[in-house]
Amino acid sequence: MNFDHIDIIQSLIDGVLFGSIYALIGLGFTLIFGAMHKLNLAYAASSIAGAYSGLMSLTIFGLPPLMAFIIGPIMSGVIGLILYFVCFRFMPRGNHLAPLMASIGALFFIDELIIHETSGSPMSFPAILPDAYFFLGEFGIRGDLLLVMGFSFILMAIVMLLLYRTKLGLGTRATSQQPVAALLCGIPIHRTNSATFILAGVLGGFAGCLLAASVGVLSPLLTLPLTVKGLIVTVIGGLGSIRGAIVAGFAVGAAESIFLLVRGVNERDIYVFLLLFLFLVLRPNGLFGTTINRD
Amino acid sequence: MTYLLGILQTIGVHTLLGLSAYLLLLTGQLSLAQVGFFAIGAYVSGILTVIFSWNIFAALALGSLMAGFFAFLVGFPALRVKGLMLVVATISFSEIVRLFFFNLSWRVNVNGVEVGPDSTQGFREIRYFAANGWEQIHIVGLIWFVVMVVMLALWWLDQVRAGAVLRAVGTDELAAQSSGINLTMVKVAAMTGGGVIAGIGGGLFAHSTTYVDHHTFVILLATFAVSYPIIGGLRSVIGTLLAVIFIQGFIIEGLRFMGDYRNLIFGLLIILVMNMRPQGLLDGHLVADIRKLLSKLTKGGKADA
Repeated sequence: MNFDHIDIIQSLIDGVLFGSIYALIGLGFTLIFGAMHKLNLAYAASSIAGAYSGLMSLTIFGLPPLMAFIIGPIMSGVIGLILYFVCFRFMPRGNHLAPLMASIGALFFIDELIIHETSGSPMSFPAILPDAYFFLGEFGIRGDLLLVMGFSFILMAIVMLLLYRTKLGLGTRATSQQPVAALLCGIPIHRTNSATFILAGVLGGFAGCLLAASVGVLSPLLTLPLTVKGLIVTVIGGLGSIRGAIVAGFAVGAAESIFLLVRGVNERDIYVFLLLFLFLVLRPNGLFGTTINRD
Repeated sequence: MTYLLGILQTIGVHTLLGLSAYLLLLTGQLSLAQVGFFAIGAYVSGILTVIFSWNIFAALALGSLMAGFFAFLVGFPALRVKGLMLVVATISFSEIVRLFFFNLSWRVNVNGVEVGPDSTQGFREIRYFAANGWEQIHIVGLIWFVVMVVMLALWWLDQVRAGAVLRAVGTDELAAQSSGINLTMVKVAAMTGGGVIAGIGGGLFAHSTTYVDHHTFVILLATFAVSYPIIGGLRSVIGTLLAVIFIQGFIIEGLRFMGDYRNLIFGLLIILVMNMRPQGLLDGHLVADIRKLLSKLTKGGKADA
């Protein structure tokens, strides 16, 4: 296989642009982890399910394609809230295994439901800016991916504003640091956690729609890879670190693209997953884990 | 009869998977790598009997040792960090193993026939049992002999100090550490033991079905593996066995007419059990109640005599 620096830089550009979707999913995982110190493994599945409901509402109600990008995130938020009540709300606080296991159950429930409803076949998703393609010197940039990236930045900015500039964000951060103390200060922790799950769900819904739009199809096969990569982004960024999730999202996207170029599509994911083990050995707390946890 | 033996075969193999997860769950760690170890055991022992014409027992032993070795390797980095990290690391590990075998093509000529793993086409012709005149009843016998040995070993483990150490780590890591228990060592030992059990299960599975491919070793199977001990409860190995019989015998086989909905029901069942009985169906209280009832019954019997 021959490739020069142009190929490498080109695939880096593609990877970083695509990585914005991983960054969004990682951000959602991290928000939920930050709030409850528990993993919601059904999170990526709920994002894909949101994108599916957006897509299906188009065919059922005959809506314009753009509506998928509004209904999808809303449905994802709703699913996120349901997941909170079904898998987390009534679990004993000290028990980490039970909610984790319940969310795995929910992951398969959602996955099987999608497979059942769509007979397992992929559905085409409306593309955004299908013909836009820019040239920057020798390098090509896909217009839709650029839009995806821009949109992700806006979403991240909104999440940051919500967390650091509003009362809701203050409550979320307080609950994440000391749930009992937060409760004593009069913060309704269950309502705050519900809000976090809805926020993360909406974020995931956008990520699901953007992913489907840039891949062109929506398929149940997207769920598990998105789950695993979202988790890897979360771990590499440092569990609970928002900055880390964003940076790691772009980094994982870029790494994935390079592995695709060097080793081909069948082996790409092996190396992405090995990257996680590299981090576990060399930097178990992730890129920003320790600093954020002390916040 | 063949059908019944087939179910017994499945239940036996899944019990081994469940027991391998059980051992690690005693230390409070949830691992989805069991399916990776299972795959390693299946492929390694299959390659040994098919390509190198090894004896089945030697192949099973080496397959499970290899699985244990990889469990040790994965356990070290993954268990040093927080428990939740282990879930992420083990999912990735299982996927790495699956993708490795998805890409593995190792075709060799044995007695004029080309055999061996053929990447996406899967690994066919693992015919040791048929070639050596084993009947299905013998295969089922072998599987259940292994299941019984493993169950007895795990039961015995609970009667000696090692079991107490495992449970101490699972109940309260901080307290266990303060009483001088090396957390990492205990967890890695449990992980390695689980790997060995899953590996031998994988070897038995590969030889009893004669065919494996990467579709067999998806995360869903890992979820089954951890759900047996969690649904059955961690008080005793019997819980795991009962959960396997319930899920494989009733939900997967008994509800065959429900078709695709069975996996949906499985997902729902996990959520329900976790909400109603976070300690599993056969939790400490229930076990204590059953013990009391049993002792009452035996005492009653003595009074009568």
